[in-house]
Amino acid sequence: MADRLLSLAGSSPARRVAKMIGVSLPPGLERDNGPWKEQSLAGRSVDVLLAPAAALGSVLASGLARLGANVGVVGDAAPFQAAGEAWARPSLPEPTAAPYGIVLDVTGIRTVEELRFVYEALAPRLGRLARCGRVILLNRPPEGNASSQAVQWAVDGIMRSLARELGRSGATANRIEVPPGAEDQLLPVLAFLMSPRSAYVSGQPWKISGHLPSQFVPTRPLDGRLALVTGAARGIGAATARALAREGAKVYVHDHPSAKEAVEALAAELNGVPVLGDLATAEGRKVILDLGPLDILVQNAGVTRDKTLGRMEPAQWDLVLSVNLSAVLELAEKVELRKGGAMVCLSSIGGIGGNVGQTNYAATKAGIIGLVEALAAPWAARGIAVSAVAPGFIETKMTEAIPFATREVARRLCNLSQGGQPEDIAEVLTFLASPSGRALSGRVLRVCGGNLLGA
Amino acid sequence: MSRAMICGGGRIPFLRAFSDYTELDTIALGAAAARGALERVGLRGEDLDAIIWGGVILPPTAPNVGRELALELRLPPRIPAHTVTRACASGLQAITDAVAMVERGEAEVVLAGGSDSTSNAALTMPETLIRKVGPVVMGKKAGFGDYLGLAARLSIGKDLIPRQPRVSERSTGKLMGEAAEDMAQRHGISRAAQDSFAVESHLRAARAWDSGKLAKEVVGISLPDGRRIERDGNVRGDTDVEKMAKLRPVFAKDGTITAGSSSPLTDGAAAVIIASEEAAKRLGLQPLAFFRSWAYVGVDPADQLLIGPALAMPKALQRAGLSLGELDRVEIHEAFSAVVLCIRKALASDAFARERLGLERAVGEIADERLNVNGGAVAIGHPFGATGARMVLNLASELKGGGRGVLGICAAGGLGAAAVLEGVA
Repeated sequence: MADRLLSLAGSSPARRVAKMIGVSLPPGLERDNGPWKEQSLAGRSVDVLLAPAAALGSVLASGLARLGANVGVVGDAAPFQAAGEAWARPSLPEPTAAPYGIVLDVTGIRTVEELRFVYEALAPRLGRLARCGRVILLNRPPEGNASSQAVQWAVDGIMRSLARELGRSGATANRIEVPPGAEDQLLPVLAFLMSPRSAYVSGQPWKISGHLPSQFVPTRPLDGRLALVTGAARGIGAATARALAREGAKVYVHDHPSAKEAVEALAAELNGVPVLGDLATAEGRKVILDLGPLDILVQNAGVTRDKTLGRMEPAQWDLVLSVNLSAVLELAEKVELRKGGAMVCLSSIGGIGGNVGQTNYAATKAGIIGLVEALAAPWAARGIAVSAVAPGFIETKMTEAIPFATREVARRLCNLSQGGQPEDIAEVLTFLASPSGRALSGRVLRVCGGNLLGA
Repeated sequence: MSRAMICGGGRIPFLRAFSDYTELDTIALGAAAARGALERVGLRGEDLDAIIWGGVILPPTAPNVGRELALELRLPPRIPAHTVTRACASGLQAITDAVAMVERGEAEVVLAGGSDSTSNAALTMPETLIRKVGPVVMGKKAGFGDYLGLAARLSIGKDLIPRQPRVSERSTGKLMGEAAEDMAQRHGISRAAQDSFAVESHLRAARAWDSGKLAKEVVGISLPDGRRIERDGNVRGDTDVEKMAKLRPVFAKDGTITAGSSSPLTDGAAAVIIASEEAAKRLGLQPLAFFRSWAYVGVDPADQLLIGPALAMPKALQRAGLSLGELDRVEIHEAFSAVVLCIRKALASDAFARERLGLERAVGEIADERLNVNGGAVAIGHPFGATGARMVLNLASELKGGGRGVLGICAAGGLGAAAVLEGVA
C-alpha cells in the first residue's frame, strides 16, 4: 500500500495543515534513476571545508570540477582555482549561499581541539543546506595512539547524528574512509554519494577497502557485461535488472518458475534472457550454473517465513535457510565469474540488528555478511569484487504483507521517516557492480534511510 | 602516397537568411559555389573524380545535395557524389574526407565544400499529426468514415501548427545561444570584450573586402529576378562599440550575448578543389596549401557545448608536430564572439592543459594579429554547412607562399573540429 503521509507531503495545503497541528510530514526525496551522466553534479554548488592538514584537497579539486560542481572553498583554495579554471567552473572564495553539498575533509585531525573545526565549520552552514542536500565527511581509518584513534572515531558519531538531524529535510550525511594511498579511489565513491542516486543512503560509513581498485567510468559503466539477477520478477530484483540493463549490461532475469510471466515480460523489456528455477532445489540452481561464465552476479532472491523461534515450524526454518543462504553459498562457489566481475548480495538491516520473528531470515542475512567478508581477499586475487547491500524498509510486495500498524511504524523508523524504493537499492547495487564500486569490495552497505535499528 | 593539395575554390556571397536568397535552396546555392570554384581554379567538370558536400539542413526529398548540385550543373553523370553532415563542421568534414580520398589513391581531383539555406529549412509538422494521418492516408483501404474519424481526432493546437525551427540541442533542449551564454559566464567573458571582438570582426572583414582579398574568393551570383549579388550582405564596416553596446541581450535577461556578437542565420555556399600533387601539375592548377593534420573530438553537450575546438586544436597540432607558437594564422569559428574568447582563454590556461589535455603547459596565447585576420562568422555570416569550406579556402589563400595555420570549429552535439594547414612555398 502506498505511503499516505508521503503523498500528503506532496500537496502544499496538506503541508500547511500538518504544520498547524504539529505533525511533521516526511520529505519528498530527489532521486535520479536515469542513465549515469558525464557530469553528475553539473551546476550544483558544493562547499568544501578543509580542516587543518587535510590531505584530499587536490583530489577533491579535480574530482568536483570534473563532476561539474561549482565549488566554494574554506582552506587552501589554490588547487580548486586551477581545477575550476580547467573546467570553467572557477571556485568561489566565499562558500555558496545555499549549497547542495558540503564536503568536509578531516583527514588530518588528531586532537580534541582540532575536532572543534567540524563544529565551527558546519554550524553556520547547515541551515543553508539545500533540501535533499548532501553532507560528506572524509577521514582516514583510525591510526596513531589511543587518543588520536578516539578522535578519529568521534567523526563517525558526528556523521551519524548529523544524518538524523538532516533527515527531516531529505538531506543525508555519510562518511567516506580513505586509507593513505587510496586517494585516487575517492572520486567514484564521492560521485555516487553526492548524486541523487544515493537518496536513501544516510548515516553510513563508506570504507574504501583496498582489496581492488575502482575505475571511474562516468557513463554506461556496464557496457558489454553479462549479468544475472536472481529473484528479478519484481521489487528490488526487477529494479536492479532494469538499472543494470540501462547501464549497458546484458541481463539474465531469474526467478521462481511460478513467476514465469513476469520474468518473461521483464526479459523482453530489457532485451535480456529469462531464467526460471527454484533456488530451494538442486535442479533450480543447476539452471543457473549451466548458463556459463558471468561478469555480474546479483544474489537478490530471498523469502521470509516469519515466526518467533519457539513457534517456528521446521519447514519455515528450512525454506528460508535453503533459498536465502544455501543457494547463495552454492552460487558463490560454483558460478564462474570473469576477471573484472563482481558479485553483489542482498543482506538486510534485519541481519545486522535482528528482528522479532526473523531468526531464520536474520540468520541468512547475517550469514551473507560473513560470506562477503570471507571472500573479499581471496576473490580480489582473481580480480573479482564482492559486496553486499543491507536494505532497510523498502516499499515492495514483501513489506506490503506486514500488518498495517507494524508497517506504518517500521516505515517511519529512519532519518528520512519513509520507506525506500526498490530503485534506491538498485542504484547502489549497480554502483557496486560497476568499475566505480570496486574499491568497496568486502563491504556491506546499509541502504536504509538511516534506520534507527542496526548499524 | 601522393599529397592532396588545396588548389583554390570559390564561394558565393553570404547573405542573411530570408533576404535575397530566399528563392534559392541549398542545392542552387551549392551549385553556384561549385561552378564558381571550377571557374576560378580553371578546371573543367569532366576533370573531377568525385564530389563530397557538407550540409546541415538537408532538403528532406533530396538530402544528397552533392549529387543534386552536380546534376544541376550538368557535370558528367559518371562523377559520384555524396553528402556528409557533422553539424557546423560539415564543410570541413567534406574537405578532410576528400583529402583522405586523394591520399588513399581513390581519386585524383575532388570538389568538396558545403552549403546551407536556413531560409529553406523545412517546417516540420508535429509527430502526433504524422502518427494520426499516416495510418489512414498511407494505410490500406481507408474509407470515407476513416477520414471523417481522422478529421475529428485532429487538434488544431497540437497537431496542425508547424514546429518553429530552433537551433537547439536535442539532448539538452538548450538553445545554442543559451549554451554560449552559460560558457561566457563561466569563463568570465564580459559583454564589452564580446562587443569589441564583434566590431573587430566586422572591421577586418570590411578591410578584407576593400583590399580585394575576399573578392578573390567570392564569385558573384545571379538571382532569379536578374539582379547580381557580389558582396557579403552582413559585413558592417561602419559599426563601432557604441552601436554594439545598444543591443539587448537575446539569450538571457541579464545576459551578455546580443545579435551583434552572434553569427546570424545565413544562406550561402563554398567549395574548394582538392587534387593530388601530380594531378595539379598535369592540369595546371595552382596549389595554395595542404593539410598537415586534422582532428575531430566530442565533449559532453550538457557541459560546455561549444568548447570542442579547445580540445581539437591541440590534438591536431600534436598530430602535425607543431606548437601554437609556430603558426602564422589561427582561425576560430565565430559562432559567437564569446565562444572564440572562451576557447582562446582555455588554450592559454596551464590548468586546462594539465587537466584536460594531459600537457604540462598551456597550449599558448593567441595574439590578436594572428586570429581571424579577415573577420569571421559574426561579420561574414554562418551558413552551417559552408563555414568549414569558407574557412579552409580563406586560410589556404592566406598561407599561399608559405606559412602555417590552424583552424578550429565548434559544432552542435558538443563536437569540435580542427585542422592544421601549411602553405605552398
